[in-house]
Amino acid sequence: MSFLGFVEGPLFTVAAVVFVLGVIWKLAGILFLGIRPDYATPRGSALGGAVITNIRHLFPRRIFLANGGLFHFLTGYAFHIGLFILLIFALPHMTFLKDRIFGFGWPALPRWAFIVMAELALGGLLLLWIRRLSDPVQRLVSEPADHISTGLTLLVMLTGCFALQISHDVLRAIHMLLADLWLIYFPFGRLMHSFTFLFSRGMTGAAYGRRGVAP
Amino acid sequence: MSTQRKHRSFGLRAICALAVLAVFLMLNMPQASAQTSGRDVRPPDINSTTLAEPSGPSNALGDKSDSDFWRQIRRANPGKVTIPDRQAAVLIQSDGQNWRAVRTGPIKVYGSWILAAVVVILTVFFAIRGRIRIQSGRSGRVIMRFTLNQRIVHWFIAVLFIFMALTGLIILYGRDVLIPLIGKPAFSVIASASKQGHDLFGPLFLLATLALFVSFVKGNLPQRGDLKWILKGGGFFGGHASSHRYNAGEKLWFWWAVLFGLLLSLSGLTMLFPTVIPELGNLQLANLLHGIAAILVIAFAIGHIYLGTIGMEGALEAMTDGYVDENWAREHHDLWHEEMRRKGEIEPALPPSGGRGMSAPASGE
Amino acid sequence: MNTTADNAATPPAGDAETAIALFLEKTGARAAAYLDACIRCGACANACHYYQASGDPRHAPVNKFRMLEKAYRRHKDPWAWLKRLSGFAPADPDIGDMQEWQELVYDTCSMCGRCTLACPMGIDIAQLVAITRAGLTAAGLAPEPIRSMAAAARDVGSPLGIDAAQLRDILNELSEKHGVPIPLDKEKADVLLIDSSLDYKVFQPTLVAMAKILDALGIDWTFSSKGYEASNLGLFTGQEDVAKAMVERIVTAAEDVGASLVLAPECGHGYASIRWEAANILGRELPFEVLHISEYLARLHREGRFGLRPLDHPITYHDPCKLGRRGGVIEEPRDILRDLAPDYREMEPSGVENWCCGGGGGVLLLESAAKTRLEAFRIKMDQVERTGAEGVVMACAFCHHTFDNGAEHFNWDRKVEDLVQLVAEHMILPGNGAATGHPAGH
Repeated sequence: MSFLGFVEGPLFTVAAVVFVLGVIWKLAGILFLGIRPDYATPRGSALGGAVITNIRHLFPRRIFLANGGLFHFLTGYAFHIGLFILLIFALPHMTFLKDRIFGFGWPALPRWAFIVMAELALGGLLLLWIRRLSDPVQRLVSEPADHISTGLTLLVMLTGCFALQISHDVLRAIHMLLADLWLIYFPFGRLMHSFTFLFSRGMTGAAYGRRGVAP
Repeated sequence: MSTQRKHRSFGLRAICALAVLAVFLMLNMPQASAQTSGRDVRPPDINSTTLAEPSGPSNALGDKSDSDFWRQIRRANPGKVTIPDRQAAVLIQSDGQNWRAVRTGPIKVYGSWILAAVVVILTVFFAIRGRIRIQSGRSGRVIMRFTLNQRIVHWFIAVLFIFMALTGLIILYGRDVLIPLIGKPAFSVIASASKQGHDLFGPLFLLATLALFVSFVKGNLPQRGDLKWILKGGGFFGGHASSHRYNAGEKLWFWWAVLFGLLLSLSGLTMLFPTVIPELGNLQLANLLHGIAAILVIAFAIGHIYLGTIGMEGALEAMTDGYVDENWAREHHDLWHEEMRRKGEIEPALPPSGGRGMSAPASGE
Repeated sequence: MNTTADNAATPPAGDAETAIALFLEKTGARAAAYLDACIRCGACANACHYYQASGDPRHAPVNKFRMLEKAYRRHKDPWAWLKRLSGFAPADPDIGDMQEWQELVYDTCSMCGRCTLACPMGIDIAQLVAITRAGLTAAGLAPEPIRSMAAAARDVGSPLGIDAAQLRDILNELSEKHGVPIPLDKEKADVLLIDSSLDYKVFQPTLVAMAKILDALGIDWTFSSKGYEASNLGLFTGQEDVAKAMVERIVTAAEDVGASLVLAPECGHGYASIRWEAANILGRELPFEVLHISEYLARLHREGRFGLRPLDHPITYHDPCKLGRRGGVIEEPRDILRDLAPDYREMEPSGVENWCCGGGGGVLLLESAAKTRLEAFRIKMDQVERTGAEGVVMACAFCHHTFDNGAEHFNWDRKVEDLVQLVAEHMILPGNGAATGHPAGH
């Protein structure tokens, strides 16, 4: 089996299984720790609070735009939007997902849109990482887990760019290898925020929704 | 003693001189290409002096001879096509051969000389002068030199620049340097990766250049005293050269980076979206300008990186922590130091663990 | 286990294991989700008045729960076993860490919850700080005087040492001096009023004002010597026995007099304690309603039970964190004040986004916290000054105390006013059109 065949075949299967089971284990493990019931007479709705807080925290409040709020908002959105659109709609990804998982395809991005999305994703993540290394607070509180998550994601995207001229199997294989590693690492580090953010916002929203506020 | 203080100008001067030389050489390019192209590539036959029809009886050799026929083709005279793409009417783009000759000739050759010269000059300078120290030692007091935003912009463009420079140099010199080292198959992989990476990071460089301009333009406009600084050689050859927040060398680097950065970005975008500007000649021009600008910026950047790291004590921390030692400021930017002292912007240095806030205490928001 | 009084007398030797055990016990799904959602963006620093005041990155809210996170990663993270097995688990926090974190969670956090607003993940950092405080307290690292005050509250009945006999003396004296009935230990009453030690000892005019209002409106109310202390320092120190003792007394008292309503005084955390925490501390629903005094007054005012003479100077309102952002009482005080003051002004920002005064969470009690706290108070002064209001009104004795302290330190000229006092002074009863009487004290 070729290296490319290995990373796209057996290793990808292993990575996907680790990813899915790992995420389920982690989320179930968190919930298993238990939420204490709230006996206080509510002033508002817990469910409503959970929903509102989840939506409200999609955007920074106006008062926090200065000193990094706007920066994080723009770069964060640029990175995430670029990443997700590329993940699903980049032609090689669509083909891979069609062949390996779904069995059906969908329209892929034209070249110009691919380039725009790649700029958003790469520029956004690069700026976020640079701020992490420059801002005194972020520098103090960032741990290896933060840099590994960022670095691994950036490497996956970078090797994806390198592999854009699909004719080189080696480049595709490197990209795929890193994508596999990324999937395997996912449940164990900060990448889990992709799921836990819903819990976090939801629990705050529910707790304070009952009190009639939406922080 | 004060002669030892200002050193940037030497490197800068050398680089400027080389840059001027390079531009001069580029202006003489047609001759250069005519001289070199004969050896390396097929000569573009565009210097024919006559377009006259062959003499002799009418139609004795048919309507056109083969040589005439080919000559017309090599002149890139458009013929007739029925498809919408008018460029297809030109059978052979002879200008492309000119472009190729210039790119692989003078740009590559002089470019490598310039880059090598900068490295040699800096090495010699370092061997003679060594690291430029803070003469009076550290004071324990610091001044903020670059804000968080400035530092983020700097490192953003720095990372992009190094990436673009490396991939770009691989694209320009890889055939000559890497193929002998690693062979053609491996180079083909590296070249493909470099080309795609270069393409995808390119547009960000335009964004970064604009951000660089916006966040650093303040203080980089010409000021009284800049000329004096230049005339004193920046203190590199002795004497003390007074300077504001940025000395004339730094200002030159700022404008150099912004203008050539824009040139690089715009010419690069032209190549990234070649159908937007349909004329092939423009693309060829864009490519040549891209190469020239790249060499010039890389050459300057090598000097900048040298002075920012091993060349000068106390310079790098301005871009990492944002703060410089007061004595560093006094020795290298006395007018700025004086201004900061008047404004009361000099703070005690904190131990590395405890830091300073990213902003002054906020009022209300 | 020794009796609790011993704890107060002799600070126990630092014991990291006890602290870690408590960290883990109190880390449920909610805290775990918070710890796992944080991506270290540092946005919370933007919201924290202590960080803004000191500029020290260690004071950023995110840093304050990092010690708790270590313990979580090593022991309770769903991957804890794997992390320990592979050697990637962080070391347990030691007593040195805990001494360092004492400053971070006690001196420079009022648990005001403002950072939650800035957090993209909506993490309730104050909750994580509360858990950290609980662990530190268990390890003997709760700072004085909070530790001994909490013990006094549990053992005597009030953090300032007011027992039932002293309470009777204080209320009698105030009743006589101000000519207003202050019922104590009535057999039965509709409304049980509780108050904080600060009011019993320092802000007595506020207590008198409440009595005057309730009396004028003909409410059937009483104090009870079985449960009179509204403050609950157990919430500051994370001591469950203290917290439980405090709320249990009030609930017992309310049940004994058959109160349908327990009225919480101008005390932010006192309100949160009986309104939001008590039922959960006791593990059952409470058989009575709990209202903050401002909620109650707003309700009566809305029902037309009293009117208000207009106030003669411009005022603004300071939202106590535990009453507003974390308690949900934001509009009710404003309903009253907008009607009271022709020139009512909002601070910018206000309501749920309001800046903390810097004294809550026990911070005001700590001498070691004074420097940063006063620096943080500048934010508050600046906010008030930008409204141009002459008076800043609040509904929390602890905020009031913090404001007085800051105003004295900075020679600040704005009036610091109590909501219930203003109401008592400007109240008009329907029918006779007369105010209830004289200003409630001086």
